[in-house]
Amino acid sequence: MTKIGLEIHCQLTKLESKLFCSCKADYREFEPNMNICPICMGIPGSLPLLNKKAVEKATLIAMALDCNTPPQIAFFRKNYFYPDLPKNFQITQLNPDGYDKTSIGWEGKITVDNKEIRIRRIQLEEDPGRLIYEGATERTKVTLVDYNRAGTPLVEIVTEPDFENPHNVRNFLNILSDLLENLGVSDPGLDGAMRADANVSIEGGPKVEIKNIGSFHDLEKAVHFEITRQQSLTERKIEIIQETRHWDDRRKITISSRTKEEEEEYRYHLEADVPWVNIDQKTKKELQEQMPESISTKKDRYISKYGITSQVADILASDKYFSELFEKANNETNAKDIANMVTTDIMGLLDTREKRESSKLEAEHLSDLVEYIRSNKITRSSAKLALDEIIKNGKPLLQIIKDLNLGHISDESTLSGIIAQVLSEEVKASEDAKQNPETVNFLVGKVMQRTHGKADPESTLALLKKNLGIK
Amino acid sequence: MKNLVTEEEIAQVAKLMKIEIEDHSEHVEKVQKMLQYFDILDKANVESEKLENPGIKLDKLRNDRYISYDKKLLKFLKIYKEKYVKAPKLS
Amino acid sequence: MNLSISALDYQTSIKNGDFTVEEFISKSIEKINSVDDNLHAFLLKMNDSALEKAKEIDCKLKSNQNVGKCYGMPISVKDNICVAGYRTTCASKVLEDFISPYTATAVDRLQSEDAIVIGKTNLDEFAMGLSTEYSAYGPSKNPWNTDYVPGGSSGGSAVSVSANECVASLGSDTGGSVRNPASFCSVVGLKPTYGLVSRYGLISYANSMEQIGPLTKTVKDSAFLLNIISGIDTNDNTTRDKENQDYLQDIDAGISGKKIGIVSEMTSSEVLSDEVLNSTKDAIKTFERIGANCENVELPMVPYAVAAYYTITSTEAGSNLARYDNIRYGYDFNSEGFEFNSYISQARDKLGPEVKRRMILGGFVPSAGHAGKYFLKALKVKSKLISELKPIFDKYDFLISPTVPIQPFKFGEIQDPVQFMKIDYNTVTSNLTGKPAISIPYKIVNGLPIGIQIMADSFKDHSLLQAAYALEKTVELPEALI
Repeated sequence: MTKIGLEIHCQLTKLESKLFCSCKADYREFEPNMNICPICMGIPGSLPLLNKKAVEKATLIAMALDCNTPPQIAFFRKNYFYPDLPKNFQITQLNPDGYDKTSIGWEGKITVDNKEIRIRRIQLEEDPGRLIYEGATERTKVTLVDYNRAGTPLVEIVTEPDFENPHNVRNFLNILSDLLENLGVSDPGLDGAMRADANVSIEGGPKVEIKNIGSFHDLEKAVHFEITRQQSLTERKIEIIQETRHWDDRRKITISSRTKEEEEEYRYHLEADVPWVNIDQKTKKELQEQMPESISTKKDRYISKYGITSQVADILASDKYFSELFEKANNETNAKDIANMVTTDIMGLLDTREKRESSKLEAEHLSDLVEYIRSNKITRSSAKLALDEIIKNGKPLLQIIKDLNLGHISDESTLSGIIAQVLSEEVKASEDAKQNPETVNFLVGKVMQRTHGKADPESTLALLKKNLGIK
Repeated sequence: MKNLVTEEEIAQVAKLMKIEIEDHSEHVEKVQKMLQYFDILDKANVESEKLENPGIKLDKLRNDRYISYDKKLLKFLKIYKEKYVKAPKLS
Repeated sequence: MNLSISALDYQTSIKNGDFTVEEFISKSIEKINSVDDNLHAFLLKMNDSALEKAKEIDCKLKSNQNVGKCYGMPISVKDNICVAGYRTTCASKVLEDFISPYTATAVDRLQSEDAIVIGKTNLDEFAMGLSTEYSAYGPSKNPWNTDYVPGGSSGGSAVSVSANECVASLGSDTGGSVRNPASFCSVVGLKPTYGLVSRYGLISYANSMEQIGPLTKTVKDSAFLLNIISGIDTNDNTTRDKENQDYLQDIDAGISGKKIGIVSEMTSSEVLSDEVLNSTKDAIKTFERIGANCENVELPMVPYAVAAYYTITSTEAGSNLARYDNIRYGYDFNSEGFEFNSYISQARDKLGPEVKRRMILGGFVPSAGHAGKYFLKALKVKSKLISELKPIFDKYDFLISPTVPIQPFKFGEIQDPVQFMKIDYNTVTSNLTGKPAISIPYKIVNGLPIGIQIMADSFKDHSLLQAAYALEKTVELPEALI
């Protein structure tokens, strides 16, 4: 019985400032050490100032994951020496002996692939700085440190070892990303915004931790590798050592981390500079009310209100960008069509963050397109061409139809003319169609080709049949 | 208390705290004496005591705003090649 | 123009035009130059900036512009409190070259009222000590007898005020570090309620207990300074609202009818030296003479307070001082070629012996396996002490004891670490519980000062000052010979 647990770190990138100071929460635009202040640098005499919104957002996450939340939260120090820690301790949360529970959430759950995954604990803590090694080899003479990231707000989510295979894990991470994005607390697509470590055990054996996993893609690989490694050892009756291993991205294997000379000793104690914060029922209720609609509720609503299929609703509801587009563009009557257009055509065209950011497509364009298709002013294939243009330059649909000459051809006389031409060119196909009516679609295709997709398919088919004398 | 904390334990802790003790005897003896004095805490009979805190309201916390700090902070720090802070290499 | 003048009398004199700010500052600088080579109260003298500021203020006065309440009075600041652009060393070699980029709120508030910082004063390294013997730059000497320690850790502050090198000083009190040297040097030393004065800019030693506190010549001066430095600071989330309290108001209300508890554990003949015991008995009589009702009271947690205090403060110190790895700031020592762990240990080797011992204790007592026995128990003692005091302060207005169980001792006289820790016996309770306490000079015996300590309930600093003033009025003491 394979057991996999996760420890996910998620940056609250949607906040304006860091967890304990007013430097920018999203550090990515800055030159090294240009997003720092006495507090996040741990200058002597400076004091941490807890970010109110960070507490609110973290509480939202805890509630979204169905966790218990405390009446009071408190912070603790995790003490160890490392160059990326300006104070040589990290301010984090804990539920140590002797105290009531004070971390932002505990004992929650989320359903993945019809299985309940238990959330052990959620805590709010600060990210350390970043290390850069001068020269990338073993013989580096010096370590360079950039503290821009030091103090960025992190939410750590620890699960019970409830996952059974790497596939579960991957699905969970996708669901979690969507959830966090939907809550408006984080943009998981940003580089380094979400990181995860895993622990793996098989058949009741010892737990092995895997750290240093760069991406979710790698996580799936790492977990898969580790399971295989452990299974292989077991088959050969070799003992599995309980240890921490790190993921070697180059060789795609897990390697035993050099055992430390001393055990990790963090001397945990209360962070006295940050007061305990009371979060009363009234506040929690207010936060709950402010919480955006959950993905599953949204999905159900799409199905029941708009009559959209479960599959389409699922895809749409899980994506914040597209669900927002859908909600803006639809007027209930055209909802199904809008939904289909989004999921079938647009998602493929705007599949990266860069493309979405530079896209000029607006909700209005969508509703116009759907309307035009409905009223036969433009064919589906022309609509696809139009979409491309709209995304590029955002011009109104009418303009684009004119510019690209995408007008719908559906009047009999024009169509008949074109059909006559095609029939004269495709003699054999015409004969085939007379014999075998199903093959008439080949001719329809030819008409579409000739008209660059502007011919109305239904009218074309009807006219062709009439012309060929088939039913 | 039964036994004084040993020299090895003290040496281990010193390493954890990144402290070098050359004049072993003086330090070790004093630390042992101080720890021995702390044994008095065993007699205080405080096991059932709960650790509590009145706490402050959420609205007393800092508002989430980005405020850029004066760039001249860098002049007060050891900055290497005017960009990074230099640290010794990690083993 | 007398340098022994109090802050409030100085204020009056300047307003009356008895002398100029520049004249007074110049004379103070002269005094510092003449006595400080011997006393060593100062680690840094700020003569030039002081004179410049003095001239500015005189200008403002001449042209009838608004001048801050402090009217240019010279104050000294303990060197673990930051002043922008100046070295803040905490009397340690590891911060030898650290220049602070900002000013502590308490100092900033005084400077905004036109106080002039005339220098940074000596302390036990990182405020860990009771005698200023542990300064890495050499000890300060007691002006009453230079063979004796001035107390600590704010020794330099107390000396600078006692020797009239300045009018007042800001120190810090973690376990008695303002009150102890105040008692040893015969000046007034106040530790305000925890949270009343901002710690922004105070370099942390034990952040759950320390407060910046004034050392002054009179109780009124203490109230005057407290008015300026106290109150909520957005840079320190542990500060609390003082609700517009004016600490000078009705300070002479007296203590007629007040109930005073004499803490048995802090006043027993086993704990106190004979001289201190006699002075304490005398003080009790004085309190009764001025109208208070005095009664013995027991605080059963007090005998555990010192052990709890040192356990907690070592833990916090071990964490607060971890940042001194000389990588981001500190002193000149190139890290090239070194491996991380070995560089840090070598860089921190500049820490003094007492600090090193506290680091070791601080690594030991909260560590897994030992935390239950030491650290957690200490926290519980702290908690029980607080709940023990609740009914006591319901019944009594104040608690009294001598500030220090003994009189000032000679340099090097106390070597045993446990004996040393116990010097804090009477003062740590107010730090552990966060409650305010003040030391008033009471007697000079055999040429050495003895101070009496009064403690009040949290945020009753105003009443505390009233009681202190009442006692002070009964006392007539000589000045130090220096």
